[in-house]
Formats: sequence, C-alpha cells, structure tokens
Amino acid sequence: MTVRLSKRYGFAASHRLHSPALTDEENRETYGKCNNPYGHGHNYEVELTVRGTVDPVTGRVVDLALLDDVAEKQFLAPFRHRNLNEEVPAFRTTVPTTENLGLEVDRRLREAWPGAFPKGGPCLEMVRIRETDRNICEISAKAEKAVLRAEEKPGT
Amino acid sequence: MVISKRVEFSASHICRSAQLTDAENERVYGPAANPLGHGHNYVVDVAVEGEPDPVTGMILDLKRLREILEDKVLSVYDHRLLNREVEPFETVVPTLENIAIDIWNRVAPHIGGRARLYSVKVFETSELSVDYRGEP
Repeated sequence: MTVRLSKRYGFAASHRLHSPALTDEENRETYGKCNNPYGHGHNYEVELTVRGTVDPVTGRVVDLALLDDVAEKQFLAPFRHRNLNEEVPAFRTTVPTTENLGLEVDRRLREAWPGAFPKGGPCLEMVRIRETDRNICEISAKAEKAVLRAEEKPGT
Repeated sequence: MVISKRVEFSASHICRSAQLTDAENERVYGPAANPLGHGHNYVVDVAVEGEPDPVTGMILDLKRLREILEDKVLSVYDHRLLNREVEPFETVVPTLENIAIDIWNRVAPHIGGRARLYSVKVFETSELSVDYRGEP
C-alpha cells in the first residue's frame, strides 16, 4: 500500500530581500518592505511529504525518528534563529525569498536522503514552505519547479 | 474535480508490533508504544473525485457522504480503544498509515454514481498526517 505522510516543522529566522543585480531603486520596488537594510524575520513552517509503501511489520511508511533527524540536521539547526543572508552560505549569492529558501531546503534534503535512510526509505515528494499564512511555496519532486502561492505580494 | 469533507473522532491506541522486541517497539514508535495506550483527536479529510451532475451541480450529495462517514467510520472509531474494539487492529498495528488505509476500505465500496473516492487524509496532530489514495 502506497501512502503519503506529511510532517510539519518550524524555525524562526531573519532575512533581507536585496539583489545585487538590481539598483537600490529597483530593489525597493521589487521587494518593498522586505528590502529594509536592517532585515526582518518570520516564523517559517516547513512541511515535508514523503511517499512510500507501508512496512507490513511496523505499519509505518517512514521511521519518524530518522525523518526528524534529517530535518533537524539539514535545515532546522542550520536555519533556526539565524540571519539567513549572513549565516547560510547559499544566501550570500542568492536572495533568500520563500522560493529560494524552499529550493535550498529541498536541495539539502535530497543530498542527505540516501545517508539518512541507509536501509532504504520513502521518496521525498514535496517540500512546502510557509513564510506567512498568505505566502506559501511548494516544491514538488515530480514538477521539479516551484509553485508560489502568494495572495498579496511576492516575498515579504 | 475533487471535493472533500472533514470529520473528526477521538480514540486511543497502542503502537506495538508483536513481531518486534520491546526495545524495537520503543525505538520505532517512541512514546506511542506505551502499553497502556494514549489517544488523539483525529481529523479525517475524505475527498471524492468526479464531474458535477448538470442538474444538481454536485459530484456527490455531501449529506450522503456525511451519513456514510458517520455510519461506516465514526460510529466504529469514535471513543474507542482501536486495538481492542476496531477490526483489523487486533492484529494490525493502528499506526496513522494503517488507520488511513482502513478508513479507505470502509468508505470506498459506498461511494458510487458520478463520484469515486480520491483520498483519505488523516491528521493525528496538526503536524502529522497520512494521505492514502487507494494505490497498491
């Protein structure tokens, strides 16, 4: 039996949206308040969806202790209470928008996945990152492209 | 097109497999392996797929879906110790995965007409859910 299991995690972090490829004026226009030079923060939520078959002995699709462990090591500990622009290497060169943050979480998890589940594990089907209740980005394994659900405006 | 209905039940369960040692059970299920049991307020989203009837504008009468869920799931699961009182959990570990599959099996035969059961998604807490779509 193939099932999908989703688990939600949270971390708080600060960021500033500013692209060196844009002028100061263009940055202000593009990112609005999120361009504030002093930065600002969010309580991010990351939901991971894994897909696989249910183990007939345990009745589980994934060892939750291993899932929690890979989440903690790959993005919770490195991002929790950090200034993302200054303290996460990827965001020295890319803008820490919800999209790029989701892609970075996805990249880190995919790299660590085989080592995290040495006896074989489920596949990572989706990473869903919520910056606020109105700004959510999904990265699905099938589409391999990000879908931004912004009801009001891009990356705040 | 997919439409879903949400229902809730409260139940207790014990996650221990007779095929595992005590130490393995503690490791696999953590606190859920407590032999005296514990409980949750489960939330179930049941989604059906189909095209709306041109006259009624409905894929399936949601009152009818509610009745099916009440009769086939809630009356069986609500305020029960799943391991003792709900088939098949005397022999199958009542993990969230197995609960979603069992609810699918109970509901699917009763969904007919224009509608097909699409998904049973069960939340054990707001952080943890399992979605079963009838796939082998």
